[in-house]
Amino acid sequence: MNREAKVISKNVDVFYGNKQALFDINLEIFKNEVTALIGPSGCGKSTFLRCINRMNDVIDICKISGEIEIDGFNIYKQGVDVVRLREKVGMVFQKPNPFPKSIYDNIAYGPNIHGIAQNKQELDEIVENSLKKAALWNEVKDRLNEPGTGLSGGQQQRLCIARAISINPEIILMDEPCSALDPIATAKIEELIDSLKSSYTIVIVTHSMAQAARVSQRTGFFHLGKLIEMDETDKIFKNPNNKMTQDYITGRFG
Amino acid sequence: MSDDHIVKSYDEELHIINDAIVQMGSLTESLLEDSMNAITKMDKDSVSKIVESDKKINKFRASIDEQIMTLLVKRSPVAIDLRLAISTLKISQDLERIGDLAKGNAKKILPLPEDDLPPEMLNSMRRLGEAVQKQIKLSLDSYLERSTEKAIQVVKDDEQVNDLTKISIKEVLDFLAKDKKNLEFATNLLFVSKNLERAGDHITRIAENVYYLISGDYPKKNK
Amino acid sequence: MNKELRRKKRYQAEKRFQVYGIIAISLAIFFVGILVTKIFSDGTSAFSRTMIKTEIKLDADLLGITDINNKDEVENADYYTLIYDEFTKSIPFSNDEEEKQIITLLSPDYEYEAKDFFLKNKDQLGKTVTILLTASDDFDQLHKGNFPRDIPEDRRRLSNFQLQIYDQLVKENKVTKVFNNYLFTKGDSRDPELAGFGGAIIGSFFTILICLIISFPIALMAAVYLEEFAPKNRITELIEININNLAAVPSIVYGLFALGILLNVLELPRSTALVGGIALSLMTLPRIIIPARASLKAVPPSIREGALAVGASKVQAVFHHVVPLAMPGTLSGTIIGLAQALGETAPLLLIGMVAFVVEIPGSPLDPSSSLPVQVYLWSESAERGFVEKTSATIMMLLGFLIVMNSLAVYARQKFEKKWN
Repeated sequence: MNREAKVISKNVDVFYGNKQALFDINLEIFKNEVTALIGPSGCGKSTFLRCINRMNDVIDICKISGEIEIDGFNIYKQGVDVVRLREKVGMVFQKPNPFPKSIYDNIAYGPNIHGIAQNKQELDEIVENSLKKAALWNEVKDRLNEPGTGLSGGQQQRLCIARAISINPEIILMDEPCSALDPIATAKIEELIDSLKSSYTIVIVTHSMAQAARVSQRTGFFHLGKLIEMDETDKIFKNPNNKMTQDYITGRFG
Repeated sequence: MSDDHIVKSYDEELHIINDAIVQMGSLTESLLEDSMNAITKMDKDSVSKIVESDKKINKFRASIDEQIMTLLVKRSPVAIDLRLAISTLKISQDLERIGDLAKGNAKKILPLPEDDLPPEMLNSMRRLGEAVQKQIKLSLDSYLERSTEKAIQVVKDDEQVNDLTKISIKEVLDFLAKDKKNLEFATNLLFVSKNLERAGDHITRIAENVYYLISGDYPKKNK
Repeated sequence: MNKELRRKKRYQAEKRFQVYGIIAISLAIFFVGILVTKIFSDGTSAFSRTMIKTEIKLDADLLGITDINNKDEVENADYYTLIYDEFTKSIPFSNDEEEKQIITLLSPDYEYEAKDFFLKNKDQLGKTVTILLTASDDFDQLHKGNFPRDIPEDRRRLSNFQLQIYDQLVKENKVTKVFNNYLFTKGDSRDPELAGFGGAIIGSFFTILICLIISFPIALMAAVYLEEFAPKNRITELIEININNLAAVPSIVYGLFALGILLNVLELPRSTALVGGIALSLMTLPRIIIPARASLKAVPPSIREGALAVGASKVQAVFHHVVPLAMPGTLSGTIIGLAQALGETAPLLLIGMVAFVVEIPGSPLDPSSSLPVQVYLWSESAERGFVEKTSATIMMLLGFLIVMNSLAVYARQKFEKKWN
């Protein structure tokens, strides 16, 4: 398999004050694939995810050592512009959090602050394309001026995905994107993830083993801040190498 | 970190399935033994009992199939639990086939005259039967004890079963060559020998599935 | 059995609690009712003004006007003599004393009223016209029924003669009450019938305006800084403690500060809305910072994270997303803080807004008064006419406070709907 590593984590340790949350994490995320991170609550998978777009920077007591390379470039080097990093690495959160603005403005905000569109027409195109890619256009095209918060939960999450796509990132991080949604909405999001992976590299944190098995090509199992095993999803769920991995995914602990 | 599932009823369901296979296995084991005894002693009275036993085995197969379907629906098992479910399904299939073959063998002696037979020929058949019985015991033990060594042993010893079958068939053909009026008798014994070999194959497959269940791979074919 | 008993007791306790609540509310409404009734009953009469109808001949000689189109002559004509002569002519009197008593039945501003009238009716020069002149304070109060007539003459403000005239004028239907526009358009005056809180309203307006312009931006920025950007260390804690304490400082202290620094050191003009506004803004700052911070804190972190994740800088996330969402609470706090400032008297007294200001201020740099100070001043005056004016000013003040608080509620609801 001639795969290109998009994100490489090297010896990453994360501390919250004196408490260590992640221990020596080394892993690779490959381009145009979906990589799932699983593990019990508090194992550090969300913390690791937030390292990739440096969202942990907003937490004062959070300290990170080690390197995370995106396309060979260490994003924790001195002087890295976090704003530009987040242009490249988008994020979708557990609870859908559309801005309390119109649907149009939700999508347009990112391109506006980054100066991506030259004029209104281009902006309209970006909004339409993002909503189409997020499989939401047909449902909202006649009500772009209505508030984003008026949509259903599943639609709001797709709106957030469209918002993340609008600035044309290369990587999309998803932190338990379906945990607040009903099964139909979840299925639609999974379908969306499937269709997005050809254009983006996706990393998804999930509590649902079945979802990780369905949606990802590679899966990493975290436990108590350590990466226990990372391999092809098929292997992990049919015959994992590590007993702890097996005990977790079969529900013997966790 | 125990070997028990957090949800106790999951473990109970697995135990029930496990017990069912073990029971089905020992029924099949007994059936094979009874079938061989009937053939070597020409005991036509025991055949109806054998037919009944086989019916029980079939019932087990149906019940185990149902239980595994339910397990898949309810638990969406992965890794070792999934391998257990699929292997057990296949093992029950193989056990049922072995039961059918044993029953078929027993029924074959029904139309035969109650003469005395040349002991050498039946001896080799007896040795073939014993070998097959040894195989089924070993393979069932490998399942019960989750032992890859025993499973590998079964796979290796399958060659022995094949050899014994060849010997048995040769002796039957020699017997036939001596006297053409032994045709019907000989034909039936040929079938019996072949059936025993096929039973041996099924048993080997059981062992391979046990190996897969435990290790996640099938044993390599180069012995 | 035990359960039954306990349940009964619980119901009884609830009933009792309800009764206490109703009693408390009723008492509160009762007392408020008394207060409001008293104020209204005293104050409503201030909104009307007694005027005397009389016939005047616009005698050109008395006025001293030769050419009606001569602006100077019209401007400087002798309206004083015109009214004096014509009015006293209309009522029979026997001596000088009585003549004086007749003219004092009119408010001393009569010459200006006559001038206003004449400027509007220049074509009536030489003719006899009917003119309404404002009555004096005593006449006005008499007509409003505030003067007892049955006390001995030397203890009364109006003599028997004047009372006679009054009765006669009433009989001739020459006494009428009109809406007292002076109340709103004029500044303070020695004569109650001519006094108005127009100056105080404008003064309050300018003061609050200055207060708003200074305190709102500073308070908002301070709240944003403390809540979103300040590092969590000792210094920040100290600042927070100080702000909370400032909110509890008695307002007169701010008056002393204004007196000492603004007036003495910086030598800003006394008694102006500018200085009053600055003093009040210091007082209002913590009252805006505290609700603004609470509103900022109440914005869920998911909004900030959503903005940051899309590549907004911290400043953009705060000002494009967090601050607009905190606006309802902040505006409510601001309006309520301003409403409180509107009613502040102590600091304004200390900077000299207690002066007697007749002219309506044209800018925040002109000396002015304010509504609560006006209440204070008029409540100290002896004339009966100021009693009703004091109550009227209180009514005005209460009216403003109700309007401002309603604005706060409206603004909050409107923004909350948008947020929702």
